[in-house]
Amino acid sequence: MQTRQSNFNEIVMQAIFFLSALISVLAVLAICLFLFMRGIPAISEIGFTDFIFNEKWGPVNIPASYGILSMIVGSIYVTAGAIVIGVPIGLMCAIFLSEFCPDNIYKIVKPAVNLLAGIPSIIYGFFGMQVIVPFVRENFGGNGYSILSASIILGIMILPTIISISESSIRAVPESYAEGSYGIGATKEETVFKVMVPAAKSGILTSIILGIGRAIGETMAVVMVAGNAVMPLNKIELLKPIRTLTTNIVTEMSYASGLHESALISTGVVLFVFIIILNASLSLISSKTQRN
Amino acid sequence: MKKSKLLSIITLALMLSMVFAGCTQETPGTPAADFDFDKDITVVARDAASGTRGAFHEIMNIIVKENDTEVDKLVVGALEFDGTDKVITAIEGDKYGIGYISLGSVSERIKAVAVDGVEPTVENVRSGSYSVSRPFLLVTKGTESKLVKDFLKFTESAEGQAITNEMKFIGAIDAPGEYTASGMSGTIKVAGSTSVAPLMEKLQEAYNELNPDVTFETQAQGSSQGIKAAIDGSYDIGMASRELKAEEASELNRYVLAIDGIAVIVNNENPKSDLAADDITNIYIGEITKWNEVK
Repeated sequence: MQTRQSNFNEIVMQAIFFLSALISVLAVLAICLFLFMRGIPAISEIGFTDFIFNEKWGPVNIPASYGILSMIVGSIYVTAGAIVIGVPIGLMCAIFLSEFCPDNIYKIVKPAVNLLAGIPSIIYGFFGMQVIVPFVRENFGGNGYSILSASIILGIMILPTIISISESSIRAVPESYAEGSYGIGATKEETVFKVMVPAAKSGILTSIILGIGRAIGETMAVVMVAGNAVMPLNKIELLKPIRTLTTNIVTEMSYASGLHESALISTGVVLFVFIIILNASLSLISSKTQRN
Repeated sequence: MKKSKLLSIITLALMLSMVFAGCTQETPGTPAADFDFDKDITVVARDAASGTRGAFHEIMNIIVKENDTEVDKLVVGALEFDGTDKVITAIEGDKYGIGYISLGSVSERIKAVAVDGVEPTVENVRSGSYSVSRPFLLVTKGTESKLVKDFLKFTESAEGQAITNEMKFIGAIDAPGEYTASGMSGTIKVAGSTSVAPLMEKLQEAYNELNPDVTFETQAQGSSQGIKAAIDGSYDIGMASRELKAEEASELNRYVLAIDGIAVIVNNENPKSDLAADDITNIYIGEITKWNEVK
C-alpha cells in the first residue's frame, strides 16, 4: 500500500514536471508555426528577392513595394554599434568586478548592474528620447534620432548581460590557474589579462552573443530614438535616422491590413532567422568548450 | 545586503535627480533669440499605415498621383512615429522640428501654426477656411428608405453630434435637432473609409441602444470602395473621408458627418507662427531643408 501510494505520487509528479518542460517547447513551436504560416505566403507573393534585396519600402504606394533590405542593414548597424559601445565597457566592468573590486564598491556596483537589467525597455526608450537624443543632437549634430543614439541606448541595455555572464565565467576559472601564474613570477595584471581572461574566453563570447541577441530584438527603446526613417543604402549615416526590422513591425502593425500586414509578419520571420543563427552559434561555442 | 540595497537606491535617486536637473536646464528661456535659421528642418511624419498621414499627405500633395500610380514623396530621412504622442514629444524636444497631428490633440507642449494665414481653430475648420482638413461624408443614392433616413437623422441630431465631438472630430451641424427612438427594425449596410469607421461604429452602438431591432453590416475598405458601393446600390450608405469628385457628386446625396482638422505643429521656440501651404509641402518633399528658406 505504502509503495503503491509513493509510486502513484512519483508518476503524477513526473507527469507534471514533463508537462512543464513541454510547455516551453510547445510555445516555441506555436510561434514558429504562426510566423511561418503567415509570413511565408506573403514572401512568396512579394517575391523573395523583391522582399529581401529591395531597399524600397512603400506599402501605401500604388503599386506597393515591400523591400526590407534597408531594415536588415539597419538592424545590423545598430547592433554592431551596440557591441562596439557595450562590449568594451561591459568586459572591463566584469574584469574589475571579478578581480580588482574592493568589497564595499562591489556592494554598490553589483546591485546597480542588476537594477539595470530590470529596467523596462520603454523606460530606456523614454530616457533615450529625453536625454540621449538631445545629447547627440547638441554634441554630434543632426537631429539626434540616429544610429548613434540607438547604439548608445542598446549599448547600455546589453551591459548587464555582458557583465554578469563574463564576471561569473572569469570567477569560474580554477584558482590553480592564478596560483600557477603567480608561481612563475607573473604580476596580478599579467595573471588577469594573460591567464584568467583568456581562460574565460568561451563564457565571454557567450555573453557577447547573448548581448547581440538582446540588441537585435530590442524594439520599444529603439523605436523612440532611431527615427524610423527607411533610408536608401547609400544614404545611411551614423547621425541619420534608421529603421530596424523590429521597429518596422511595431510602427506599422497597428493600422496595417492585407498584404501590408503579412509583409510585417514576414519581417518577423527574417528576424526569427537571425535569432536562430545566433542561437546556433551559441550552441556551437558551448559544444566546443565542452570538448576541450 | 540591506545596506547594499539602500546604497543602490540612493545612487539611483541621485542619477535620476541629475537627469531631471538636466531636463529643466534645457527647457526654453528666451524664445526666438537663439533660433538658428540655418539649421536643418527636422521633418516628422506618421507611419505609413496611419490615417492621419494618408489624409495629410493627400491634402498637401505629398502623395503624387499619376495615371494608376500613387507615390508618397515624403523626404528621405523624415522621422516616422507610430503615434500622436510620440510626434508631440519629438517636436517638443527639437527646436527645428515640424510635424502634424489631429486638431483634437493639440496642446501647449507644441505650437500649432496657421496655414496660409488661417489659424487652426474649430471655427475655421467648420467654416472651411482652414485648408488642412477633410470632411467625413456619408453618401446615399436616390431616395433613402425610412430606416436609412432615420439613422441619418440620428447622426445629425444633438446626440449624434455629441458622439462625434467626443471622438475629437468636429461636428458639422450648426443647430442639431432632437432625436427620439423610432423603434424601427431592419438592416443597414454601410461601406467605406477606414478613418470614418471608428466614428461610425460608435454612432451605430448608440443608435442600437435606442433601436435594438436594427442591425448593421459594416465594411471598411476605403473611401473609394464606399462611394462605389453606394453608387451601384450594393450598400445603403457609403463612408468617405475625402471630397466627392464631380461625377460622383452628381449621382449621390451627400451628408457631412464631421470634419477632421489636421494641425501643423512646430516647437514652441520656433518664431514662425504662419506657414504657406506650399512651403509645408516643399518641406515634406525635401525641396526646402532649412528654416531660412521658409517665407
